[in-house]
Amino acid sequence: MKTLEAEVIVIGGGATGCGVLRDCTLRGIDAILIEKNDIASGTTGRNHGLLHSGARYAVRDLESATECIKENRILKKIAWHCIEPTGGLFVTLPEDDPNYHNRLLEACRFAGIDAKEISVKKALSIEPNCNPNILSAIWVPDGTIDPFRLTSANILDSIERGAHVFTHTQVERIMLKQNQVIGVQCYDKTAGEYLEIYAPIIVNASGVWGQHICKTAGIELKMFPSKGSMVIIDYRINNVVVNRCRVPSDGDIIVPGDTVSLIGTTSRKIPYDTIDELVVDDDEIDVLLSDGEKLIPNVSRARVLRAYCGVRPLIAVSGEMDGRDISRGVVLIDHKERDNVQGLITIAGGKLMTYRLMAEMTTDLIAKKLGNSKRCLTYKIPLPGSEKRVGYTKKIKYFSGIPNSVVGSTHYRHGERVHNILSLKKRNYGLICECEMVTLGEVEYAIKNLKVNDIVDLRRRTRIGMGPCQGELCAYRAAGLFTEFGDFTPDESTKLLMDFLEERFKGVKPVLWGDGLREFEFTYWIYQGLFGLGLVEDNNT
Amino acid sequence: MRYDCIIIGAGVAGLTAGIRCAKEGLHTAIISSGMSALHFSSGSIDLLGYRDNAVVYKPFEAIDQLTGTIAQHPYTKCGKPLIIEALLFFKQECEQQGLFLFDNGNLNHFHVTTLGTLKPTYFSQRSVFNEDVYSRFKAMKKIVIINFEGYRDFHPQLAAAQLSKHSLFANCEIVAKQIEMPQLQDDGKYPHEFRSIDIARIFEKEANIEKIADLIRLAAKDADFVVMPAVMGITNFNQIHNKLQSRTRLLVYEVPTLPPSILGMRIDNALKSRFAELGGVYIAGDKVVRADITDDVVNAIYTNSHPENPMEAQCYILSTGSFFSGGLVSEFDNMYEPIFKLKLHHEPERNKWYNQNFFHRDSHAFLQYGVLTDESLRPYDSNNNIIQNLYCSGAIMAHYNPIKEGCGSGVAISTGYKAAGQIINLLKRMS
Repeated sequence: MKTLEAEVIVIGGGATGCGVLRDCTLRGIDAILIEKNDIASGTTGRNHGLLHSGARYAVRDLESATECIKENRILKKIAWHCIEPTGGLFVTLPEDDPNYHNRLLEACRFAGIDAKEISVKKALSIEPNCNPNILSAIWVPDGTIDPFRLTSANILDSIERGAHVFTHTQVERIMLKQNQVIGVQCYDKTAGEYLEIYAPIIVNASGVWGQHICKTAGIELKMFPSKGSMVIIDYRINNVVVNRCRVPSDGDIIVPGDTVSLIGTTSRKIPYDTIDELVVDDDEIDVLLSDGEKLIPNVSRARVLRAYCGVRPLIAVSGEMDGRDISRGVVLIDHKERDNVQGLITIAGGKLMTYRLMAEMTTDLIAKKLGNSKRCLTYKIPLPGSEKRVGYTKKIKYFSGIPNSVVGSTHYRHGERVHNILSLKKRNYGLICECEMVTLGEVEYAIKNLKVNDIVDLRRRTRIGMGPCQGELCAYRAAGLFTEFGDFTPDESTKLLMDFLEERFKGVKPVLWGDGLREFEFTYWIYQGLFGLGLVEDNNT
Repeated sequence: MRYDCIIIGAGVAGLTAGIRCAKEGLHTAIISSGMSALHFSSGSIDLLGYRDNAVVYKPFEAIDQLTGTIAQHPYTKCGKPLIIEALLFFKQECEQQGLFLFDNGNLNHFHVTTLGTLKPTYFSQRSVFNEDVYSRFKAMKKIVIINFEGYRDFHPQLAAAQLSKHSLFANCEIVAKQIEMPQLQDDGKYPHEFRSIDIARIFEKEANIEKIADLIRLAAKDADFVVMPAVMGITNFNQIHNKLQSRTRLLVYEVPTLPPSILGMRIDNALKSRFAELGGVYIAGDKVVRADITDDVVNAIYTNSHPENPMEAQCYILSTGSFFSGGLVSEFDNMYEPIFKLKLHHEPERNKWYNQNFFHRDSHAFLQYGVLTDESLRPYDSNNNIIQNLYCSGAIMAHYNPIKEGCGSGVAISTGYKAAGQIINLLKRMS
């Protein structure tokens, strides 16, 4: 059996875990990260991608709101290529409590959020698609953030600084010697082999799955999973984030992101044993569309691209409560204090927005345990891609000869790393995914540098297959490239293609009507009708 | 302008019907809203490839079984003798335009897909499957699958791996090769613009053929057999195929690619030309939006471009396809046929429209949804009355799954042929 050693093992490749890995690495701590699927494949990648200003929490949870606005300002500096500082609106509908408007303004002032009241006319000029019957509006520094890019950038930086990352590797159990953790036993699903990693400190950053991880060390930690569903509209129908000015509830936010807009979110308590088989319920879609309609009229008549859901990792400190009532605040547990297990730390709760802060708190505790006196640097050292901010026009000029749209998209997704991706060789910038302008060069870069194991992972790094056609043509094109650039046999590539289409279908089927159904009929026609892909297994026997 | 027959939709069904009507001397118009599904097809004509998820080798025997058990299936409404007649008609009409189709008599044959799987089909173009290939299929020692550098819609290495798993090729070496075509690189175009059509255009220039043949020969010198993506020209494909084979002294064989499908475009061209040659009127780029119906008889139809000017005919054929082509429309909580508001077969709840997995063995229910018709292919309106002078054909019809059963083109040809026959008989009786 393969064995490895490190100072710290981080379990969980969401934003928090990857943030901890990077923070450790920047402080010179030798760390290894283990993720059972792909990075950002759990809760991190399954939210609405809102760069919170904190205003959504200001009225009820001042602490979270204050954390949000601080991190909002930091992330805009260290991760600008993952962010669009669009700004956001809180609008009051005729049916909403008009007093909430002033309460929100007041709370934002306390939290230090630059919220300002603007006229309805001004709001409608900022967001012409917004419901014209709104009574009042507040502008806040909301924005959008791409969780995949953010997490991937943390990983990339850590790897470049010497950290090790194992994705698609499942932790089987935490190994203990008396009351001290000594490492983990895990199974590498890609290589099909077991490995043991030894370290005196283990960070459980596996979110809602943390209950299970703790259990392998004999510790009881109770999670209250709360499901949130969202629908994706196949157009970017709003310029800025549109929030409903009321106590947070279902279907009260529409977030623009890349080429699409998202209507969020629902909140439903679910049993712990269903967290790996989440499905969006039909009535959730009905609620999201009909409430979304109130913010942006006709939104439900636009094409709906997908629906998906994530699970909030809430730890209830006392008693059971509703998903929205439990604080989204950070929970940092030193299991030495709580359970007399030395070396085990759980970091949970919080939000994507506060991942860096959570990582800092965790790493401070790690450093203390290790006797490391280095200070946290993650608030000022930019992530790979955000090293310096160069405008779109300059990049276009630099890469003249390559179509502007290709340069623009690559720069948008990878920031300064565009220089590691694009080259003037024609083959390099041939398009693989037309919807999202993903080139052969970008696919090659991702497969070789960004821990990509399959087309689903590739999608998270590049947006391949995320556009209107949902991988209709690019899925096949990309599959072939895994043989060329990765360590995959043609048969494995064919299998990746099937898996990818199944994965895309999960999000398509709850919203299978209208143009989405037409598109799916076409995709099915190609892969089942033209290719006979579903027959591959029959063919083999 | 009053026609004998107006056909709405110009896919395989509409064009087959149009050719038959025009050939009988009927004053016939076809209205086409855009490219048909042929542009996305394999270019082979599937008759009946699967029954209950098992491969069908003898399609006519399987049709006998099917018509005996599924009363609503379009094949049952056509009957085997008419299906055979329709296939022969289709083959001959294509031949008139120089498009030769191979068939294996009573048996299906298997064509190689883009991915290297084998799919049962009934007619294939000669460059796809022919007598030579057929006779040497089992004795082959080496197959070379080639692609042209820069063309992203075909991966020969995936096809080679898949094909070599098949027991037919157990003793055969199958390798993938890339060919660099200088013409592809020097065009000054961005490489992402290269689709099958761009390469087909390079093949269409006579001066290029010998050079390409030599490159193929070089890549596949010791092979029996060369497989390449279907890009051997859109119009003069017979000459190109002959030249490639004689210069390389190899069997050269095409496989379908991702769309656009050159093979499908050849059929589309052949059928359209044949229809024009017979005096048919082809109206491209217009969409029928509504109809004027009284006492269960269609008086006129109206199009997008001429919303006030009626188009009139004695009889009409509706061959607008399924959801993808716009023949059927689905909404959040509803499905309908947009022109005549015909009665549909479908489940009202949207979560019944699909199965849980993309590649579910039972396929997806919505593919079987469509218009209900009587034995003569006449549809019902929403009040359950038969519309007397309207006939349906092709993918708009209910009660069959073209992909799961591998019968899309066969149903289109048979129902198109039958719809035309109904109209011809009716008008004969009336005169």
